[in-house]
Amino acid sequence: MTNDEASSLLNAYIDGELGPAKTLELEAHLAENPPLRAACGRLREMSEAVRLKADYHAAPAGLEARVRAAIPADEKDRSARPVRWAWPKPGVSLAAAVDWLRPAASLAAVALVTWVVALGYLRPSEDERITQEVLASHVRATLTSRFFDVASSDQHTVKPWLSARLAFSPPVSDLSASDFDLIGGRLDYIGAQPVAVLVYKRRQHVIDVFVWPSEIRQSEQTETRDGFNVERFSRNGMSFWIVSDLNRDELADLGRLLAERSAAP
Amino acid sequence: MTPAADSALLHKADPLSLQHTGSATPQETLSERKRRFEKLVLPHFDAAYNLARWLTRNDQDARDVVQEAVLRAYRFFEGLRGEAKPWLLAIVRNSCLTWLAANRPAGTVGFEEGAVELVPSDEDGPETLVARNFDRRMINDAIAGLPAQFREVLILRELEDLSYKDIARIADVPIGTVMSRLARARRLLAESVRAASPAIAAAQVAK
Repeated sequence: MTNDEASSLLNAYIDGELGPAKTLELEAHLAENPPLRAACGRLREMSEAVRLKADYHAAPAGLEARVRAAIPADEKDRSARPVRWAWPKPGVSLAAAVDWLRPAASLAAVALVTWVVALGYLRPSEDERITQEVLASHVRATLTSRFFDVASSDQHTVKPWLSARLAFSPPVSDLSASDFDLIGGRLDYIGAQPVAVLVYKRRQHVIDVFVWPSEIRQSEQTETRDGFNVERFSRNGMSFWIVSDLNRDELADLGRLLAERSAAP
Repeated sequence: MTPAADSALLHKADPLSLQHTGSATPQETLSERKRRFEKLVLPHFDAAYNLARWLTRNDQDARDVVQEAVLRAYRFFEGLRGEAKPWLLAIVRNSCLTWLAANRPAGTVGFEEGAVELVPSDEDGPETLVARNFDRRMINDAIAGLPAQFREVLILRELEDLSYKDIARIADVPIGTVMSRLARARRLLAESVRAASPAIAAAQVAK
Protein backbone atom coordinates (compact mmCIF):
# COMPACT_ATOMS: atom_id res chain seq x y z
CA MET A 1 0.00 0.00 0.00
CA THR A 2 1.37 3.41 -0.95
CA ASN A 3 1.31 6.33 1.43
CA ASP A 4 -1.16 8.22 -0.81
CA GLU A 5 -3.53 5.30 -0.94
CA ALA A 6 -3.31 4.82 2.82
CA SER A 7 -4.09 8.46 3.55
CA SER A 8 -7.03 8.43 1.13
CA LEU A 9 -8.52 5.56 3.11
CA LEU A 10 -8.25 7.18 6.55
CA ASN A 11 -11.76 8.65 6.56
CA ALA A 12 -13.42 5.38 5.53
CA TYR A 13 -11.30 3.66 8.15
CA ILE A 14 -12.35 5.84 11.08
CA ASP A 15 -15.96 5.66 9.90
CA GLY A 16 -15.85 1.85 9.92
CA GLU A 17 -16.60 1.76 6.21
CA LEU A 18 -13.47 -0.07 5.06
CA GLY A 19 -13.68 -3.76 4.15
CA PRO A 20 -11.86 -6.24 6.42
CA ALA A 21 -8.98 -6.94 4.02
CA LYS A 22 -8.21 -3.26 3.45
CA THR A 23 -8.54 -2.58 7.18
CA LEU A 24 -5.82 -5.11 8.00
CA GLU A 25 -3.62 -3.76 5.25
CA LEU A 26 -4.07 -0.17 6.39
CA GLU A 27 -3.45 -1.02 10.04
CA ALA A 28 -0.18 -2.72 9.10
CA HIS A 29 0.78 0.42 7.20
CA LEU A 30 -0.17 2.71 10.11
CA ALA A 31 1.97 0.64 12.51
CA GLU A 32 5.07 1.54 10.48
CA ASN A 33 4.16 5.15 9.75
CA PRO A 34 3.96 7.41 12.84
CA PRO A 35 3.04 10.65 10.95
CA LEU A 36 0.11 8.90 9.26
CA ARG A 37 -0.88 7.40 12.61
CA ALA A 38 -0.92 10.91 14.11
CA ALA A 39 -3.03 12.20 11.19
CA CYS A 40 -5.45 9.35 11.78
CA GLY A 41 -5.68 10.27 15.48
CA ARG A 42 -6.42 13.91 14.64
CA LEU A 43 -9.12 12.84 12.20
CA ARG A 44 -10.75 10.77 14.92
CA GLU A 45 -10.58 13.67 17.32
CA MET A 46 -12.18 16.01 14.82
CA SER A 47 -14.95 13.52 14.22
CA GLU A 48 -15.46 13.11 17.97
CA ALA A 49 -15.47 16.87 18.53
CA VAL A 50 -18.25 17.33 15.97
CA ARG A 51 -20.29 14.48 17.44
CA LEU A 52 -19.96 15.80 20.97
CA LYS A 53 -20.10 19.53 20.42
CA ALA A 54 -22.09 20.37 17.29
CA ASP A 55 -25.72 21.30 18.01
CA TYR A 56 -28.27 18.63 17.32
CA HIS A 57 -31.37 20.58 16.38
CA ALA A 58 -34.28 18.54 17.63
CA ALA A 59 -37.64 19.65 16.27
CA PRO A 60 -39.21 22.50 18.29
CA ALA A 61 -42.06 21.58 20.61
CA GLY A 62 -45.39 21.35 18.87
CA LEU A 63 -44.05 21.20 15.33
CA GLU A 64 -44.55 17.46 14.97
CA ALA A 65 -48.10 17.68 16.33
CA ARG A 66 -48.85 20.46 13.86
CA VAL A 67 -47.49 18.46 10.93
CA ARG A 68 -49.37 15.35 12.08
CA ALA A 69 -52.57 17.34 12.14
CA ALA A 70 -51.89 18.55 8.61
CA ILE A 71 -51.66 15.00 7.26
CA PRO A 72 -55.04 14.13 5.74
CA ALA A 73 -56.74 11.07 7.27
CA ASP A 74 -60.26 11.84 6.18
CA GLU A 75 -61.78 9.17 3.96
CA LYS A 76 -63.44 11.91 1.96
CA ASP A 77 -60.12 13.45 1.02
CA ARG A 78 -59.64 11.60 -2.23
CA SER A 79 -56.84 13.80 -3.45
CA ALA A 80 -54.39 12.05 -1.15
CA ARG A 81 -54.62 8.71 -2.92
CA PRO A 82 -55.82 7.31 -6.20
CA VAL A 83 -59.51 6.50 -6.33
CA ARG A 84 -59.81 2.73 -6.31
CA TRP A 85 -63.18 2.19 -7.91
CA ALA A 86 -63.95 3.33 -11.40
CA TRP A 87 -66.88 4.91 -13.14
CA PRO A 88 -68.54 2.71 -15.78
CA LYS A 89 -66.16 2.45 -18.70
CA PRO A 90 -67.09 4.15 -21.97
CA GLY A 91 -67.46 0.73 -23.62
CA VAL A 92 -70.31 -0.19 -21.29
CA SER A 93 -73.71 0.51 -22.80
CA LEU A 94 -75.90 3.38 -21.64
CA ALA A 95 -78.51 0.91 -20.42
CA ALA A 96 -75.96 -0.68 -18.12
CA ALA A 97 -75.07 2.74 -16.78
CA VAL A 98 -78.75 3.47 -16.07
CA ASP A 99 -79.07 0.09 -14.34
CA TRP A 100 -76.18 1.05 -12.20
CA LEU A 101 -77.61 4.47 -11.40
CA ARG A 102 -81.13 3.31 -10.48
CA PRO A 103 -80.28 1.58 -7.18
CA ALA A 104 -77.92 4.41 -6.35
CA ALA A 105 -80.70 6.96 -6.84
CA SER A 106 -83.20 5.07 -4.71
CA LEU A 107 -80.55 4.59 -2.04
CA ALA A 108 -79.98 8.34 -2.05
CA ALA A 109 -83.72 8.98 -1.75
CA VAL A 110 -84.01 6.61 1.22
CA ALA A 111 -81.03 8.27 2.87
CA LEU A 112 -82.61 11.72 2.40
CA VAL A 113 -85.95 10.65 3.90
CA THR A 114 -84.20 8.96 6.82
CA TRP A 115 -82.22 12.09 7.46
CA VAL A 116 -85.27 14.39 7.42
CA VAL A 117 -87.22 12.06 9.72
CA ALA A 118 -84.28 11.68 12.04
CA LEU A 119 -84.03 15.47 12.33
CA GLY A 120 -87.60 15.58 13.64
CA TYR A 121 -86.89 12.89 16.21
CA LEU A 122 -83.48 14.08 17.23
CA ARG A 123 -84.57 17.63 17.93
CA PRO A 124 -86.45 16.88 21.19
CA SER A 125 -83.50 14.91 22.53
CA GLU A 126 -81.71 18.21 23.14
CA ASP A 127 -84.64 19.24 25.37
CA GLU A 128 -84.57 15.84 27.02
CA ARG A 129 -80.90 16.22 27.83
CA ILE A 130 -81.45 19.66 29.34
CA THR A 131 -84.40 18.38 31.35
CA GLN A 132 -82.16 15.73 32.86
CA GLU A 133 -79.40 18.22 33.54
CA VAL A 134 -81.61 20.76 35.33
CA LEU A 135 -83.23 17.95 37.33
CA ALA A 136 -79.82 16.62 38.32
CA SER A 137 -78.70 20.08 39.35
CA HIS A 138 -81.83 20.58 41.48
CA VAL A 139 -81.52 17.16 43.14
CA ARG A 140 -77.83 17.69 43.82
CA ALA A 141 -78.54 21.03 45.46
CA THR A 142 -81.26 19.43 47.60
CA LEU A 143 -79.12 16.46 48.63
CA THR A 144 -76.19 18.62 49.67
CA SER A 145 -78.37 21.46 51.03
CA ARG A 146 -76.21 23.74 48.92
CA PHE A 147 -78.89 25.79 47.24
CA PHE A 148 -77.06 28.98 46.54
CA ASP A 149 -73.66 30.60 46.09
CA VAL A 150 -75.08 33.96 47.09
CA ALA A 151 -77.70 34.03 49.83
CA SER A 152 -79.93 37.05 49.66
CA SER A 153 -83.57 37.91 49.44
CA ASP A 154 -82.61 41.14 47.73
CA GLN A 155 -82.81 41.05 43.92
CA HIS A 156 -80.35 43.97 43.82
CA THR A 157 -77.75 41.77 45.46
CA VAL A 158 -78.42 38.57 43.55
CA LYS A 159 -78.57 40.08 40.06
CA PRO A 160 -75.19 41.88 40.12
CA TRP A 161 -73.54 38.88 41.75
CA LEU A 162 -74.69 36.64 38.87
CA SER A 163 -74.03 39.24 36.18
CA ALA A 164 -70.44 39.62 37.35
CA ARG A 165 -69.84 35.90 36.83
CA LEU A 166 -71.73 35.29 33.59
CA ALA A 167 -71.61 36.58 30.04
CA PHE A 168 -75.21 37.74 30.40
CA SER A 169 -77.40 39.46 32.94
CA PRO A 170 -80.32 37.29 34.10
CA PRO A 171 -83.63 38.95 34.97
CA VAL A 172 -84.17 38.67 38.74
CA SER A 173 -87.64 39.52 40.02
CA ASP A 174 -88.87 40.22 43.51
CA LEU A 175 -91.98 38.05 43.80
CA SER A 176 -92.40 38.20 47.55
CA ALA A 177 -95.75 39.95 47.09
CA SER A 178 -96.95 36.74 45.41
CA ASP A 179 -95.51 34.54 48.15
CA PHE A 180 -92.48 33.40 46.17
CA ASP A 181 -89.52 34.42 48.29
CA LEU A 182 -86.15 34.88 46.64
CA ILE A 183 -83.54 33.21 48.85
CA GLY A 184 -80.44 33.38 46.66
CA GLY A 185 -78.71 32.43 43.44
CA ARG A 186 -76.03 30.07 42.18
CA LEU A 187 -74.13 29.18 39.06
CA ASP A 188 -74.32 25.91 37.19
CA TYR A 189 -73.41 24.41 33.84
CA ILE A 190 -76.31 23.25 31.67
CA GLY A 191 -76.40 22.43 27.95
CA ALA A 192 -72.68 23.15 27.61
CA GLN A 193 -72.90 26.69 28.97
CA PRO A 194 -72.74 28.47 32.32
CA VAL A 195 -76.20 29.39 33.52
CA ALA A 196 -77.80 31.40 36.31
CA VAL A 197 -79.95 29.63 38.90
CA LEU A 198 -82.38 31.78 40.90
CA VAL A 199 -83.60 30.09 44.04
CA TYR A 200 -87.10 30.84 45.35
CA LYS A 201 -89.00 29.34 48.21
CA ARG A 202 -92.72 28.85 48.86
CA ARG A 203 -93.58 27.28 52.22
CA GLN A 204 -90.97 24.51 52.56
CA HIS A 205 -90.52 23.98 48.81
CA VAL A 206 -87.35 25.11 47.15
CA ILE A 207 -87.75 26.21 43.55
CA ASP A 208 -84.82 26.45 41.10
CA VAL A 209 -85.20 28.79 38.14
CA PHE A 210 -82.52 28.16 35.51
CA VAL A 211 -81.94 31.07 33.15
CA TRP A 212 -79.68 31.38 30.11
CA PRO A 213 -79.70 33.23 26.81
CA SER A 214 -81.07 31.21 23.94
CA GLU A 215 -82.17 31.98 20.40
CA ILE A 216 -84.66 29.13 20.36
CA ARG A 217 -88.21 30.26 21.08
CA GLN A 218 -89.81 27.76 23.36
CA SER A 219 -93.49 27.24 23.96
CA GLU A 220 -94.68 26.85 27.54
CA GLN A 221 -94.47 23.27 28.69
CA THR A 222 -94.91 21.49 31.97
CA GLU A 223 -93.98 17.94 32.77
CA THR A 224 -93.56 15.75 35.78
CA ARG A 225 -90.46 13.70 36.17
CA ASP A 226 -89.46 11.55 39.16
CA GLY A 227 -91.82 13.48 41.43
CA PHE A 228 -90.49 16.85 40.33
CA ASN A 229 -92.29 19.27 38.13
CA VAL A 230 -90.43 20.95 35.31
CA GLU A 231 -91.85 24.07 33.71
CA ARG A 232 -90.18 25.81 30.81
CA PHE A 233 -90.68 28.75 28.48
CA SER A 234 -88.67 31.46 26.80
CA ARG A 235 -88.93 35.25 26.94
CA ASN A 236 -86.83 38.01 25.43
CA GLY A 237 -84.09 35.69 24.22
CA MET A 238 -83.86 33.94 27.59
CA SER A 239 -84.71 30.32 28.33
CA PHE A 240 -86.36 29.64 31.70
CA TRP A 241 -86.45 26.16 33.21
CA ILE A 242 -88.20 25.88 36.57
CA VAL A 243 -87.73 22.78 38.71
CA SER A 244 -89.36 22.01 42.05
CA ASP A 245 -91.36 19.49 44.03
CA LEU A 246 -94.01 22.20 44.34
CA ASN A 247 -97.33 21.22 42.74
CA ARG A 248 -97.87 21.96 39.07
CA ASP A 249 -100.46 24.70 39.50
CA GLU A 250 -98.34 26.77 41.83
CA LEU A 251 -95.29 26.22 39.65
CA ALA A 252 -97.31 27.39 36.63
CA ASP A 253 -98.20 30.52 38.62
CA LEU A 254 -94.51 31.22 39.18
CA GLY A 255 -93.83 30.67 35.50
CA ARG A 256 -96.51 33.15 34.58
CA LEU A 257 -95.18 35.74 37.03
CA LEU A 258 -91.61 35.38 35.79
CA ALA A 259 -92.76 35.63 32.18
CA GLU A 260 -94.68 38.83 32.92
CA ARG A 261 -91.77 40.45 34.72
CA SER A 262 -89.30 39.45 32.02
CA ALA A 263 -91.53 40.58 29.16
CA ALA A 264 -91.20 44.24 30.09
CA PRO A 265 -87.57 45.26 29.66
CA MET B 1 -10.48 9.20 -5.28
CA THR B 2 -8.66 6.28 -6.86
CA PRO B 3 -10.42 3.23 -8.27
CA ALA B 4 -8.48 1.15 -5.75
CA ALA B 5 -9.90 3.19 -2.88
CA ASP B 6 -13.37 2.95 -4.29
CA SER B 7 -13.26 -0.84 -4.51
CA ALA B 8 -11.96 -1.00 -0.96
CA LEU B 9 -15.16 0.33 0.53
CA LEU B 10 -17.25 -2.00 2.63
CA HIS B 11 -20.57 -1.02 1.15
CA LYS B 12 -21.21 -0.62 -2.49
CA ALA B 13 -24.35 0.93 -3.80
CA ASP B 14 -26.66 -2.06 -3.98
CA PRO B 15 -30.26 -2.66 -4.90
CA LEU B 16 -32.35 -1.46 -1.99
CA SER B 17 -33.65 -4.05 0.37
CA LEU B 18 -37.38 -4.53 0.61
CA GLN B 19 -37.70 -4.83 4.36
CA HIS B 20 -39.86 -1.72 4.65
CA THR B 21 -42.25 -0.51 2.09
CA GLY B 22 -44.84 2.19 1.79
CA SER B 23 -46.96 0.19 -0.62
CA ALA B 24 -50.54 -0.02 0.52
CA THR B 25 -52.63 -3.14 0.63
CA PRO B 26 -55.66 -2.65 -1.60
CA GLN B 27 -58.09 -2.57 1.36
CA GLU B 28 -56.17 -0.03 3.40
CA THR B 29 -58.20 3.02 4.43
CA LEU B 30 -56.74 6.49 4.58
CA SER B 31 -56.61 6.56 8.36
CA GLU B 32 -54.79 3.20 8.37
CA ARG B 33 -52.36 4.63 5.84
CA LYS B 34 -51.80 7.66 8.05
CA ARG B 35 -51.21 5.47 11.11
CA ARG B 36 -48.68 3.35 9.22
CA PHE B 37 -46.93 6.50 8.00
CA GLU B 38 -46.78 7.88 11.52
CA LYS B 39 -45.33 4.64 12.87
CA LEU B 40 -42.76 4.14 10.12
CA VAL B 41 -41.69 7.66 9.17
CA LEU B 42 -42.42 10.09 11.99
CA PRO B 43 -39.91 8.54 14.45
CA HIS B 44 -37.36 10.32 12.22
CA PHE B 45 -38.99 13.73 12.63
CA ASP B 46 -36.12 15.12 14.73
CA ALA B 47 -33.57 13.92 12.18
CA ALA B 48 -35.60 15.64 9.46
CA TYR B 49 -35.62 18.89 11.41
CA ASN B 50 -31.91 18.64 12.26
CA LEU B 51 -30.96 18.25 8.61
CA ALA B 52 -33.30 21.02 7.47
CA ARG B 53 -32.02 23.31 10.22
CA TRP B 54 -28.37 22.73 9.26
CA LEU B 55 -29.04 23.17 5.55
CA THR B 56 -31.20 26.29 5.85
CA ARG B 57 -29.29 27.61 8.90
CA ASN B 58 -32.53 29.21 10.09
CA ASP B 59 -35.25 27.99 12.47
CA GLN B 60 -38.26 29.41 10.67
CA ASP B 61 -37.06 28.18 7.28
CA ALA B 62 -36.44 24.72 8.77
CA ARG B 63 -39.99 24.61 10.17
CA ASP B 64 -41.50 25.45 6.81
CA VAL B 65 -39.30 23.03 4.91
CA VAL B 66 -39.90 20.12 7.30
CA GLN B 67 -43.65 20.60 7.25
CA GLU B 68 -43.66 20.67 3.47
CA ALA B 69 -41.27 17.72 3.21
CA VAL B 70 -43.26 15.49 5.56
CA LEU B 71 -46.49 16.19 3.70
CA ARG B 72 -44.71 15.44 0.45
CA ALA B 73 -43.36 12.23 1.95
CA TYR B 74 -46.91 11.24 2.86
CA ARG B 75 -48.06 11.90 -0.67
CA PHE B 76 -45.32 9.65 -2.05
CA PHE B 77 -45.49 7.11 0.76
CA GLU B 78 -46.07 4.30 -1.76
CA GLY B 79 -42.60 5.01 -3.10
CA LEU B 80 -40.88 4.04 0.17
CA ARG B 81 -38.50 1.11 -0.27
CA GLY B 82 -35.90 0.10 2.28
CA GLU B 83 -35.23 2.11 5.43
CA ALA B 84 -37.54 5.01 6.20
CA LYS B 85 -34.87 7.34 7.61
CA PRO B 86 -32.71 7.87 4.50
CA TRP B 87 -35.87 7.94 2.40
CA LEU B 88 -37.35 10.75 4.49
CA LEU B 89 -34.04 12.63 4.70
CA ALA B 90 -33.65 12.49 0.92
CA ILE B 91 -37.05 14.17 0.61
CA VAL B 92 -36.10 16.75 3.25
CA ARG B 93 -32.85 17.46 1.46
CA ASN B 94 -34.60 17.97 -1.87
CA SER B 95 -37.23 20.16 -0.22
CA CYS B 96 -34.41 22.26 1.24
CA LEU B 97 -32.84 22.69 -2.18
CA THR B 98 -36.13 23.64 -3.80
CA TRP B 99 -37.01 25.96 -0.95
CA LEU B 100 -33.63 27.65 -0.87
CA ALA B 101 -33.62 28.12 -4.63
CA ALA B 102 -37.01 29.84 -4.42
CA ASN B 103 -36.48 31.87 -1.27
CA ARG B 104 -32.78 32.23 -0.55
CA PRO B 105 -30.95 32.03 -3.88
CA ALA B 106 -27.59 32.61 -2.14
CA GLY B 107 -28.21 29.57 0.07
CA THR B 108 -27.95 27.04 -2.74
CA VAL B 109 -24.36 27.90 -3.47
CA GLY B 110 -22.24 24.85 -2.81
CA PHE B 111 -24.85 22.21 -3.61
CA GLU B 112 -23.90 21.99 -7.25
CA GLU B 113 -21.34 19.44 -8.29
CA GLY B 114 -17.88 20.97 -8.41
CA ALA B 115 -18.98 24.30 -6.97
CA VAL B 116 -16.04 24.04 -4.62
CA GLU B 117 -12.79 22.91 -6.08
CA LEU B 118 -11.45 19.77 -4.50
CA VAL B 119 -7.84 20.85 -4.20
CA PRO B 120 -5.75 18.18 -2.51
CA SER B 121 -3.99 20.00 0.32
CA ASP B 122 -1.00 18.92 2.37
CA GLU B 123 -1.41 16.61 5.30
CA ASP B 124 -1.95 18.45 8.53
CA GLY B 125 1.32 19.59 9.97
CA PRO B 126 2.43 19.38 13.59
CA GLU B 127 0.71 22.73 14.29
CA THR B 128 -2.70 21.03 13.98
CA LEU B 129 -4.98 21.78 16.86
CA VAL B 130 -6.12 19.28 19.39
CA ALA B 131 -9.80 19.01 18.54
CA ARG B 132 -10.92 18.43 22.11
CA ASN B 133 -9.99 22.04 22.90
CA PHE B 134 -12.54 23.44 20.47
CA ASP B 135 -15.60 24.93 22.05
CA ARG B 136 -19.15 24.43 20.88
CA ARG B 137 -19.58 27.80 19.28
CA MET B 138 -16.40 27.39 17.27
CA ILE B 139 -17.49 24.00 15.98
CA ASN B 140 -21.01 25.18 15.17
CA ASP B 141 -19.79 28.28 13.36
CA ALA B 142 -17.26 26.27 11.39
CA ILE B 143 -19.87 23.73 10.25
CA ALA B 144 -22.35 26.47 9.35
CA GLY B 145 -19.62 28.07 7.24
CA LEU B 146 -18.94 24.91 5.20
CA PRO B 147 -20.20 24.82 1.62
CA ALA B 148 -23.52 22.98 1.57
CA GLN B 149 -22.32 19.82 -0.19
CA PHE B 150 -19.74 19.25 2.56
CA ARG B 151 -22.03 20.40 5.35
CA GLU B 152 -24.70 17.89 4.45
CA VAL B 153 -22.42 14.83 4.35
CA LEU B 154 -20.79 15.87 7.63
CA ILE B 155 -24.16 16.32 9.42
CA LEU B 156 -25.50 13.04 8.07
CA ARG B 157 -22.36 11.17 9.08
CA GLU B 158 -21.53 12.69 12.48
CA LEU B 159 -24.93 13.76 13.82
CA GLU B 160 -27.20 11.18 12.22
CA ASP B 161 -24.58 8.40 12.23
CA LEU B 162 -25.62 7.21 8.79
CA SER B 163 -23.56 4.84 6.62
CA TYR B 164 -21.88 6.00 3.42
CA LYS B 165 -24.47 4.01 1.52
CA ASP B 166 -27.37 5.90 3.12
CA ILE B 167 -25.63 9.25 2.72
CA ALA B 168 -25.03 8.47 -0.97
CA ARG B 169 -28.71 7.79 -1.36
CA ILE B 170 -29.74 11.01 0.37
CA ALA B 171 -27.23 13.30 -1.39
CA ASP B 172 -27.80 11.45 -4.67
CA VAL B 173 -24.08 10.88 -5.38
CA PRO B 174 -21.86 7.77 -5.65
CA ILE B 175 -20.41 6.32 -2.42
CA GLY B 176 -16.89 7.30 -3.50
CA THR B 177 -18.02 10.92 -3.68
CA VAL B 178 -19.45 10.68 -0.17
CA MET B 179 -16.04 9.56 1.06
CA SER B 180 -14.11 12.30 -0.68
CA ARG B 181 -16.59 14.97 0.40
CA LEU B 182 -16.41 13.79 3.97
CA ALA B 183 -12.61 13.91 3.87
CA ARG B 184 -12.78 17.40 2.43
CA ALA B 185 -15.39 18.49 4.97
CA ARG B 186 -13.21 17.41 7.89
CA ARG B 187 -10.19 19.13 6.45
CA LEU B 188 -12.08 22.38 5.82
CA LEU B 189 -13.49 22.19 9.31
CA ALA B 190 -10.02 21.83 10.82
CA GLU B 191 -8.76 24.78 8.80
CA SER B 192 -11.75 26.90 9.70
CA VAL B 193 -11.44 26.22 13.41
CA ARG B 194 -7.72 26.82 13.30
CA ALA B 195 -8.26 30.20 11.65
CA ALA B 196 -10.86 31.09 14.26
CA SER B 197 -8.64 30.33 17.22
CA PRO B 198 -5.22 31.95 16.84
CA ALA B 199 -4.80 31.98 20.61
CA ILE B 200 -5.15 28.24 20.97
CA ALA B 201 -2.99 27.69 17.89
CA ALA B 202 -0.26 29.88 19.34
CA ALA B 203 -0.42 28.07 22.64
CA GLN B 204 -0.03 24.74 20.92
CA VAL B 205 2.82 25.86 18.75
CA ALA B 206 4.62 27.06 21.86
CA LYS B 207 4.50 23.62 23.43
